[in-house]
Amino acid sequence: MDAAAMERRGMNSDAGGAWRPRLAAGVRIRVDPADGRERLLFPEAALELNETAAAIIRLCDGRRALAEIVRELAGQFGDATALARETEEFLAAMRERRLVE
Amino acid sequence: MNPPPPPRSLVAELTYRCPLGCLYCSNPVELAKSRAELSTADWSRAFAQAAALGVMQLHLTGGEPLLRDDLTELAAAARACDLYINLITSGAGLNEARLDALRAAGLDHVQLSLQDAGEAGADYVAGVRTHRRKIATARMIARLKIPLTLNFVVHRLNLDRVGAMIDLAAELGARRVELASAQFHGWALLNRAHLMPAREQNDRAEEIVRAAAERLRGVIEVVFVRNDYLAGRPKPCMGGWGRGTIVIDPAGRAMPCQAAASIRGLEFPDVRSATLEEIWRDSPVFNAFRGYDWMKEPCRSCPERERDFGGCRCQAFALAGDATATDPACALSPHHRTVLAARTESPASSEPIYRAAEGGRAAFSRQ
Ligand code: SF4
Ligand code: SF4
Repeated sequence: MDAAAMERRGMNSDAGGAWRPRLAAGVRIRVDPADGRERLLFPEAALELNETAAAIIRLCDGRRALAEIVRELAGQFGDATALARETEEFLAAMRERRLVE
Repeated sequence: MNPPPPPRSLVAELTYRCPLGCLYCSNPVELAKSRAELSTADWSRAFAQAAALGVMQLHLTGGEPLLRDDLTELAAAARACDLYINLITSGAGLNEARLDALRAAGLDHVQLSLQDAGEAGADYVAGVRTHRRKIATARMIARLKIPLTLNFVVHRLNLDRVGAMIDLAAELGARRVELASAQFHGWALLNRAHLMPAREQNDRAEEIVRAAAERLRGVIEVVFVRNDYLAGRPKPCMGGWGRGTIVIDPAGRAMPCQAAASIRGLEFPDVRSATLEEIWRDSPVFNAFRGYDWMKEPCRSCPERERDFGGCRCQAFALAGDATATDPACALSPHHRTVLAARTESPASSEPIYRAAEGGRAAFSRQ
């Protein structure tokens, strides 16, 4: 994604750009032995993650900024613009539920 | 029959003992007569079997699970099989050293119950003085950075204060606050006339909750669990009987739901004489209300059955006298009038009945 596109997505703003997402305390990711898929565990649920979501979550280590997460995944998951939007929306939703901070 | 999909969560009722006497307690009114509780080894074996079967989440509850001296050991056993561990507690008996030990053993999350926003109301509902210590406990949990959910059971006596409850939860640093309408099982059914809110009171509270959830978005998750008597639609109890959850009671009986023992005539397998896999797959009680064949009309031909599974079996038994009936909370149930009547019950003359705490204290003396 080019700088202008990132700007449009607000990823250079303080909110997006400086944010280094990580899993909130009490949230774990683990492979479900029943079907081999990754799930996000927190008290209310074991949320099934699709491949993209699992890849995003694995990079939420509190060191990578949002844009870096997108960059790392861009090679793996096709269209960068769509990926950026998806990542941002997904992480915003996770943050709202206090699963990611 | 195809084997059922695996269970996802295990509710371990470690003990029915509890120092509180909440008016809304859903524990059985006939608390298991014998005091025999499963041993540490029994529970540890059950945890390992559950994990092997597909369970990912463990809820340690009771009664008051902290009354088990081996709680830290049990947490370690659960963590050894990679279960997510949620402790559901009133907080009585929790101090910093113990909480630290639990965390070191693998505790992931604490769900603490509060009875009201303020001390007088809360202690009235609990039947003992406990609110102040609970607040201190909540602060201690936050200080140790253990993720915290606060749970308020809401009903006529406290629904007017949901706004203050949510503010309190946010101030205490909880990540989530649940306002769960009292479910009329166990002691709550005995006290229904005292606990059942009027529609207007409930709707006002729901409106306040909605606004607070919006305002606090990203700060704290706010969840309201609706009153099924008022909703006219039943809850998909436990996400369906035998579909995702195993409950084990203090004496080791495995059941599909925490209130299942209230249904007369069901026999519950003992986890000491059968494996959880056998119980989950083969036991008559887990198969009793799986699928749709057991249903009667109107559920049998209702498209909603795939979403609500005909509601709660225990409530059908309690209110319609038949566990295979449509949950009377549903407006389509031929027994729905019992629910309508309960909406206008008046508490007038009777005193509420406190769950007798340890030692058979009959009632809470208010002084
Ligand atoms: S008395 Fe209160 S704290 Fe104790 S088990 Fe019942 S609801 Fe929970
Ligand atoms: S009739 Fe049965 S399946 Fe239909 S909404 Fe009522 S409880 Fe649900």
